[in-house]
Amino acid sequence: MISPAPVEVLKVEGEGDSRFIELRGVQWRIHLGILPCSASVDELRRVTADARRRYAGVRRRLLVDPQFLKDENNSPDRVMDNPLSQNPDSMWGRFFRNAELEKMVDQDLSRLYPEHGSYFQTPACQGILRRILLLWCLRHPEYGYRQGKYIINMQSHEWMHELLAPLLYVLHVDVRRLSEVRKVYEHHYNDNFDDLSFPESDLVLNYKSLKVATEIEDGNSFQRNEAKISSLNELGPEIQTIVLLTDAYGAEGELGILPSERFIEHDAYCMFDALMGGASGAVAMAEFFTPSPSIGSHTGLPPVIEASSALYHLLSLVDSSLHSHLVELGVEPQYFALRWFRVLFGREFLLEDLLSIWDEIFASDNCKLSLGAEDEESNVGVLQSPRGAFISAMAVSMLLHLRSSLLATENATSCLQRLLNFPENADVKKLIEKAKSLQSLALETSVCCPDPSPVGAFDRSKSKTARGHSLSSGSISPTTPLNLIPESYWEKKWRVLHKEEEVQRGSTGKARRHPGKRHCQREQLGSEDDFEKEEYYGLVLRRILSVKRLSAHTGSEENSRTSSSSSTMLSSRANDLENDLERSSVASSSSADENDVEPDKEELCVGMHKDPDLPVSDTISDTSDKSSADTIGKQLVGTKERKLLSGKFQWLWKFGKGGEGTFERGGNTEASRSSSIGNSQKIVPVSSTLDGCGTLPGDTADRNVMGTLKNIGQSMLENIQVIESVLQQERNQVGSVENLSKSVLVGKGQVKAVAALKELRKISNILSEM
Amino acid sequence: MARRADEEYDYLFKVVLIGDSGVGKSNLLSRFTRNEFCLESKSTIGVEFATRTLQVEGKTIKAQIWDTAGQERYRAITSAYYRGALGALLVYDVTKPTTFENVSRWLKELRDHADSNIVIMLIGNKTDLKHLRGVATEDAQSYAEKEGLSFIETSALEAINVEKAFQTILGEIYRIISKKTLSSDEPAPTSIKEGKTLVVEGSEANTKKPCCSST
Repeated sequence: MISPAPVEVLKVEGEGDSRFIELRGVQWRIHLGILPCSASVDELRRVTADARRRYAGVRRRLLVDPQFLKDENNSPDRVMDNPLSQNPDSMWGRFFRNAELEKMVDQDLSRLYPEHGSYFQTPACQGILRRILLLWCLRHPEYGYRQGKYIINMQSHEWMHELLAPLLYVLHVDVRRLSEVRKVYEHHYNDNFDDLSFPESDLVLNYKSLKVATEIEDGNSFQRNEAKISSLNELGPEIQTIVLLTDAYGAEGELGILPSERFIEHDAYCMFDALMGGASGAVAMAEFFTPSPSIGSHTGLPPVIEASSALYHLLSLVDSSLHSHLVELGVEPQYFALRWFRVLFGREFLLEDLLSIWDEIFASDNCKLSLGAEDEESNVGVLQSPRGAFISAMAVSMLLHLRSSLLATENATSCLQRLLNFPENADVKKLIEKAKSLQSLALETSVCCPDPSPVGAFDRSKSKTARGHSLSSGSISPTTPLNLIPESYWEKKWRVLHKEEEVQRGSTGKARRHPGKRHCQREQLGSEDDFEKEEYYGLVLRRILSVKRLSAHTGSEENSRTSSSSSTMLSSRANDLENDLERSSVASSSSADENDVEPDKEELCVGMHKDPDLPVSDTISDTSDKSSADTIGKQLVGTKERKLLSGKFQWLWKFGKGGEGTFERGGNTEASRSSSIGNSQKIVPVSSTLDGCGTLPGDTADRNVMGTLKNIGQSMLENIQVIESVLQQERNQVGSVENLSKSVLVGKGQVKAVAALKELRKISNILSEM
Repeated sequence: MARRADEEYDYLFKVVLIGDSGVGKSNLLSRFTRNEFCLESKSTIGVEFATRTLQVEGKTIKAQIWDTAGQERYRAITSAYYRGALGALLVYDVTKPTTFENVSRWLKELRDHADSNIVIMLIGNKTDLKHLRGVATEDAQSYAEKEGLSFIETSALEAINVEKAFQTILGEIYRIISKKTLSSDEPAPTSIKEGKTLVVEGSEANTKKPCCSST
């Protein structure tokens, strides 16, 4: 009740100014580069006042008041300025042009946030929105008008208001917050000196408007009879700031009052302009509206398409099975990402949730990043900043949230349908957390690898500098030749990153002992007995297990082949049922493969075992890892490197909060589906147990055998449920009597599969009862 | 999961909606697929689509209707949008002559991107706004005849002719498809009935490759 938008957002790191934690509008203005960060209150007030003056000037210059036109004496040149003038620059020309644009803007505005209609639909608010959009379009004709002609181009400003409205809303909330504070600490705003009270008319105008706002807010829980605080210093620092920010006698007087109802329009314009223009940073929302490639882009693709492919690239590193599934279905990223990016996820979330997402987006720095190797042209220039990385990571986080649901789709249509209807009940906090954990990876891949030497080998010098708002001119290497060959760009990138991975392996070997230590516990658990039991595993799991067994028996070289074979499995798909089963198992096996990369093991172990004191024998895993990394066959290079990257990601991941399992489970809508997410993770222990079958079982490990087996049994059960649900689905889909041939085909496969599943169930029951 | 009835169909037809921004494409779609109309619907960003299964000439047809923002000029989107489309509903607003004038532009767009055999239907929407009419029915009718398009006027708001428009275009597509099927050396007609295998799934079947790769 107190605040319409409780600003309980996770604290912004770094430059976040905790003074304004309660004032999102101020916070955002700092993050958007409108207000200086960590400046004094006076400084903030001065900058604010200047910005407001500028806006007022622009508005006066560009918006024509019809009243003014009627007053003919005001027109200096009646030949030019008459309503029939053909001169587009005449006052009347401008007036008509504006009116046309205004009409279109209005059409968009009436569609704004129905759930907050009470605010956005008020005439005052609509007027503000309209003027801001109108002015922005007038100042940026490239987005508002077709070149040369004064014909309105429908192209771009259609959705701009959806970017503007949240900004306005945030400012509005700030003002409301302010009025609450004012109510409580009223006497600080009063001009009481020595019992001599000034009449209210002496107070600044703004106070009156605030009072009006205050009166509206009657359901306020603040108590007026709060203990009197005699001096400002006794107030909390936050309240103190608010009082200082809103003191009409402070710097710039009324014009400098920070959250001010009167200047909401001015402030919103500044924010909108900064958001659209990117304030010399990488992410400039306006670019997402242009169909033409950004200057200097060597891909020749529109920025929003570039950003979409960056999103898929990140996804391929994070979750290669989901990525390849989408690619195989032909679901190109721009189909859904266009909408996600253009309005910064505004269509996918409710306003309150959206604000917390924007908190994070804005909190991330928007400085273009070009670490050392400026010549490393990425095709994702738009997202080449921490902010861009976060946006990309957020999108991937959303995809991961839908993971199981998407993996269950069999054609582009149903897949897209799910993507275009992002569940409203998604847990935004978790999505954000996940996105944060992916951000550094996103940044790393979108910018360039920090190791300059291999990068030099793949010099791709760029005209990136030409991209208008480059802040990084200092780090440009002008000598590098211009090389526009786009071939196998990502392959190179993989190679680069792969090398880095190897370097990391070497240097951080010691640090990894720890994970290795844990890993061995599991290695010791495996025994030949397990293998015998597996013989009973049905046709579904046999695939994974055989792959795994192979690697366990034949050592490192096979290891690499293993991962590649599983990814070929991934890419080969048909439409029948058996394949369906395979697909779900493939998803599991691919993450099992990531076991090859050690850090992953750690994460898994952490999940599996609680007991830290167990014998160590990390040699096997270490050597096999190294050799597997070193002995990649030529034809395996691409795949393997991808695997390594996935592993790397896993490693990064552990810094993020919350394991994958919990995250995805929590947020999932369909119970049956959510179990299939767990699937890919849970299956890993099964196979990794087999990995270490050669190791001697220790006494301590024995104690854990039972627990592990139980866990295995448990995870098997879950996997079985997933497969069953897939089967169920399939059955429903081909239930038609008419589709005879199909049903027969399906029937055969199903009988087999069901039988296999029964067997599996038995085994898993035994296991979990141990 | 019990979407049984929805999953059984003889054919799957992809139909695209095109036309200027604000002519009511999204509302035609929602009226047809969900029998809904929203005065304050948000403008489409990128693509959206919906499906509906219905009976056309005794066959169960699953219509997959794609809707895109009228101003989407991204080739990476448009190529996918038109790929595999068997029909196109070219919509204009009867109250806005400019949207009718732009019809020829949209026809060109179709010729550039869509299959040459695509069935096109011209739709004049918003007939409920009688007092605002700016495009005469006869003008549109004669234009449609000249260009070889079928033509109908609709009101998504009042649900007038929407069903008929879709029925007509789906029927036309069906006739063309079934003719094709007969002329090609398909075996016994019974196997045709086996449905799914014969589904004219738009996605990958199209031979026409987009001129630029979208990735």
